[in-house]
Parts: sequence; C-alpha cells; structure tokens
Amino acid sequence: MTHNAPVPGGHALPVDHRAGGELLSARGLSRRFGHLWALRDATFTVRTGEILGLIGPNGSGKSTLFQCLAGTMPTNAGVVEQDGSALGAEDRKRVLYFMPDGIRPWPDQTVSWMLGFVRGLWGATADQYDEVMRSLGVERLRYSAMGSLSKGEHKRVLLAAALLTPQPILMLDEPFDGLDLRQTRETMEVLRRHAAKGRTLFLSIHQLGDAAKICDRFVMLSDGRVVGEGTLDELKTAAALASATPASLEEVFLALT
Amino acid sequence: MRSPDRVGLWRVLVAKEMRELMASRSYWLLLLVVGALVGHAFMTATAAYAEASGAGGGASALSQGLNPLTGIVVPTLGAYDLAATLLFPFVVIRLVAAERETGALILMLQAPVRFRELMAAKGVALAIGWLVAGVPGLIALVWWSGMRGHVHAPELGAVVLGHLLRGVMTIGVASAAAALSASAASAAIVALTVTLGAWALDYAAAARGGALETIAQYTPEAALRQFEQGELRASTVLVMLLLGIGGLAIAAQWLRVGRQRVERRWGVLVVVVIVAIASFASSRVHISYDLSEDRRNSFSRVDDAALGAIKSPLHITVYLAGEDPRLADLQRGVFAKLRRRLPEVEITYAAKGRSGLFERAGDHYGEVWYQLGERRAMSRSATEEIVLETVYQIAGVAAPTTRDDAAYPGYPLVATPQYVSVVFLVLWPLALAGCWWATRRRLIGAVV
Repeated sequence: MTHNAPVPGGHALPVDHRAGGELLSARGLSRRFGHLWALRDATFTVRTGEILGLIGPNGSGKSTLFQCLAGTMPTNAGVVEQDGSALGAEDRKRVLYFMPDGIRPWPDQTVSWMLGFVRGLWGATADQYDEVMRSLGVERLRYSAMGSLSKGEHKRVLLAAALLTPQPILMLDEPFDGLDLRQTRETMEVLRRHAAKGRTLFLSIHQLGDAAKICDRFVMLSDGRVVGEGTLDELKTAAALASATPASLEEVFLALT
Repeated sequence: MRSPDRVGLWRVLVAKEMRELMASRSYWLLLLVVGALVGHAFMTATAAYAEASGAGGGASALSQGLNPLTGIVVPTLGAYDLAATLLFPFVVIRLVAAERETGALILMLQAPVRFRELMAAKGVALAIGWLVAGVPGLIALVWWSGMRGHVHAPELGAVVLGHLLRGVMTIGVASAAAALSASAASAAIVALTVTLGAWALDYAAAARGGALETIAQYTPEAALRQFEQGELRASTVLVMLLLGIGGLAIAAQWLRVGRQRVERRWGVLVVVVIVAIASFASSRVHISYDLSEDRRNSFSRVDDAALGAIKSPLHITVYLAGEDPRLADLQRGVFAKLRRRLPEVEITYAAKGRSGLFERAGDHYGEVWYQLGERRAMSRSATEEIVLETVYQIAGVAAPTTRDDAAYPGYPLVATPQYVSVVFLVLWPLALAGCWWATRRRLIGAVV
C-alpha cells in the first residue's frame, strides 16, 4: 500500500508503507574532517515500520552518520535515496526527523512552551500532545525551564518533542542516555508503541544490551564504516559465528569490530 | 496531524523569537539604559533650550536660532545612536548565536520552513524589539509637546525614520557577525570592529572625494546625520535597508550548516555582490526631500528655481584641507544643497595636507574653482550667496534679485519639565521590572 505521508510545510512524498519494504537507503555516505574520515562509504537501508539500531564503539561515526542522513551536516560523497530517487536536504526534512544527543536548546523557555512550539510547527493534534506528555511523564515538568532540567528529564522532553513530529522516519541519537533502568524500560515501551503505529525508528544506541532489547535490525559501524547490517541472526552469520552458538549482540559486535 | 498554513507557521516563528527576546537579559538591560540615556538627554536639552530662550531673566538668543529639531529632538533621540552602536548589537548577537551554541539550530534546520524565513522571523522580532525600545523617546517627545514645545511633524518623522533604519542596519551587521563568528564573544568583537571601522572611514573620507566619500555617506553615523538635518534621501533609505537585509541574508546563508562550506562561502559572496550592486544603484537615485521646517537643506525657492535652469555637470575644485572649518561650512551650507538641486556635482579636493597649515603660496590654498562646461570661476568665499552668484555667473543665468522666503520664526520656550528624573530614572526602571517579572511568570510559569 502506498499513500502520501502527512508532511507539513510542503507536498507529501509517496511512502511505501508495506511492513518491511525499503523506505530509505543510504549509498556510499562519506564525511571527512580534515584528513580524518569520520564516515566512509556507509551503505544501508531503512525498512518501513522497523526499529533499526545503529551501534558501534565510541567515535565510530554514529552521530556523524545521523547528521549526514538528516542533512544537518554535509557529506563528501554518497546519496540518500527513496524509491530510487536521490533526496536533497529539503526533501529529507519531509521524510525523516533527527533528534541529536547532547543539545540543550532554549534553556530560558519552559518545557510546556518547547513542546507547544514543536506542536505548532508540525501541527500535532491535542490528543497526540497529551498522549506524548503523559506517556513520557513530562507533564509535571510543564512549568520548568529547559535549562533547569536534569539530564534524564531533559532527555525525556527531547524525546517527547521528537515524537510530536510527523515524519515517517524518526532518528534518535542515544535515546536512553541519562535515563535510569525503570525510565529506560518505560521509554522503550513508548517507542515500541510508536513503531507499532507504523513509524520507523532509527536509534543510535551505545549500550548494546539496550539495543538488543528494542531493535529489530542493526547497522553496525566501526571506524566510520558499516561492518554489518541485518538481524541478530544475519549478523551472527556475517561474523561467522555458528548459528547453534547462543551468541549475544556483544559477541557479534566484538567479532565484527 | 494537520499541516499548519504558512501564516500560522510564520506566527509561530515570530512568537518564538519574541519570547527569546523577552527572555534575554541583554534586551532588558538595553531598555533600562535607553530610558536613563533618553531621560538625561531630555533634561539637558530642555534646560539648555530654556536658557537660550531667556530663562532666569537673562537675554534671549535670536529667536530664529531656537529650533526644536536641533535643540530638543536630535539630542534627546541621540541616545538611540549610542544604544544602536554599543548595546543593541549584543541583543542581536544573542538571538542569532544562542541557537547554534545550544544545538537548537539543528532542530530549526529541520523545521518545515526555508531557513531564510527563520532568519526573517528573527529580523522581524528584533525590529519590533527596537521599536519597543523607542518608548522612552516617545515619552520625552510627548512631554515636550505637552509643555507647548513646538514639533514639526515631517522633520521629526525624518529623525525617527533615521533611528529606525539605524536599528535595521545594526540588526543586519550584528546578525552577519553572529553567524560568521565561532562564538558570541567573537561576534561582539567583530560588530565593534565594524563600528570602529565605520568611524575611521568617516574620518578618512573627509575632504577626499571620489568613491571613498560616496561610501562614507552610508556609514551609520553619516547616514543618521542626514536624517537629523531633516533630510530624507531615497538613496540613504535604500542603502540602509539593503545593508540590514543583506546582513540577515548573509547569516541565513552561513548558518545552513547542512551545506558544504564552499557552497556557503559562495552563497555569502553572492549576497555581498548583490548588496554591493544594489547599493551602488541605489546611491545613484537622486531623490531627496527637505523635511526641515527651516529649509536648512535647501536654497531659497527663487534660487532653487534659477538653479533648475542648469543642466550640465558642475565641477568644483576645492583647495581647502579637511580640517579647515571653511571646508566644513562649504560642505554643509553649500555643496550639500547644490548636490540636492543640480543633476550632477563633482567635487575634487585638491589641497595637499590635512590641516592646511603648511600649504605654500603657489598651492592655491583657499581657492574654490567652479566649472560648468568650459567656463570657470574662482571664489574664496564659503557664503551661500557669493557661491551662488559665482555659479550663476559661469552658467549665464540671471541671479534672482529678491529672496522673499519667510524667515524661520524660531520657537523659544522658557519651560523646564519637572520630575523628568523621577520618570526616567525611577518610574521607567520600575515599569521595566514589573514587565520583566510578568514576562518571567509567563515564560517560566506560575510556579516560580
């Protein structure tokens, strides 16, 4: 089934909503800082309705990949495609939304304003707004200044803002960073519910245990290169680990990186 | 989800920028300081005006010399020049640079609008902020009017427009500085460097002529001086607007960090070239209005009519140094008026030194040569009537025999406003504190 995604601020792009169908692909994405390649020839696909995990060691280029994909950082080479057509930065704004890690936007404004602003920008309904506020437990932070929030509170507010956007693909950089165990589990549940409604999630996760719990498939990065892509079983095969062996994601990760 | 329409998006963006402005301590500080500066300037100006009008039983100056434009309006609103130079740039820089420093820029780059629209929203919010800063000036002028002080609306309008455009220029320059610099601190240094550079250009261009003098007409100080004389030049209005909008456009090009650096550099270069070409074209627009009540920027009506018969370019060669007061008299009292009235006036500054103290006899020092076609004449006078006579002589135009313009009546006023310091130094800060508290409650919520 193909229909037009509800995208504000411009015409909608045709999106293939068949579960598991290819929604977006990156081909040969590369990014260089001076002589250092942060990303080299990264090629992978994003499928409709899946929760895709981007995993890799520190400094492997996960955040750079997300920024390049979102069009907030230029690439030195490569294309992002949908239905075989290259998407420019403006088109990508309609297909995917990226919430970075480590940002501290609008510290003088309230949580209520920040989420209201995002809602006003993207046209989220009152029901969606209330549901997101409630599910991520940010209602009680409504009148707090963004700059006064703890790391975990801040992370949940940014997640709430991201969930109010309408793009078919949502990219979250370290969505569980700063959350305690209970909050991590609750947030995973919220993200799963969101994905079940048809939105594709692409999560950069540093903790492999967390990644294994929530993701359907993985893109594994090492030293700026994609060293593996697929489900855990597919990665095990790629890592030449006997499928009879009950290998964990950690073992696959160590074998491939 | 439903898509908000363009107008709705614009409203959301401008409201966001207004909130950010209200949350900025530097903006509140600007409002506080502007109130104090305007109040002090108004007190000083009214006291001096009353004194010149014969307060305390002393002798009154000539009533023709008592002009509210020069005596009250310009000094009172002069506080805004200071604010636009030393305070407003920091407010602009904060609004533009903060999003990059906090990471909010990445979120805004993904907003469903073009980036230039985001910058335009910032420009609109800052312009509104600058208008709000005009409240103390408005209070002072209403006060003056309430004291039965004379106000000539067109010349007041020119000065107010000058300060508004001065604010627009500051928005442009500071936005570009904030975008191109790595941090807000660096941007502040760049903005102040531009100000110092403009002052230096003002000084260096004096008595130089040519392109340098033309460019120097559009430094913030020089441009504002025209408005303060009650003159409205289309070229100055256009260039000030272009510089303001151009600065915002540069910021919009450079802050689109998703594009390659080389691409952004080209974008900035294209904006600079377009602004330069448009400014050059604007500088050729010779439309100006003398809105001053005393017609200080114009010759008498009969002289204006007589000069209208001259169609060929007037070349003037001046052997006066830049620091010679006669040159300043000529420039202000005669050359500026000739430039307004004649289709083309070209001035060559031929003196060798800057002070005129060491010129030799053969250097023609003190001479001013006027040439129309092949006919030339020399005059040493800086007096309007004598210069005009010289011009009429070489043009072969009959000089008007009578100049029947009514003399400017002058508006002496012996009145000193009471409690100015209470209003501007006590009530204004208290009102600001109240507004600040109210906006903080609205911004941060009732729990604080």
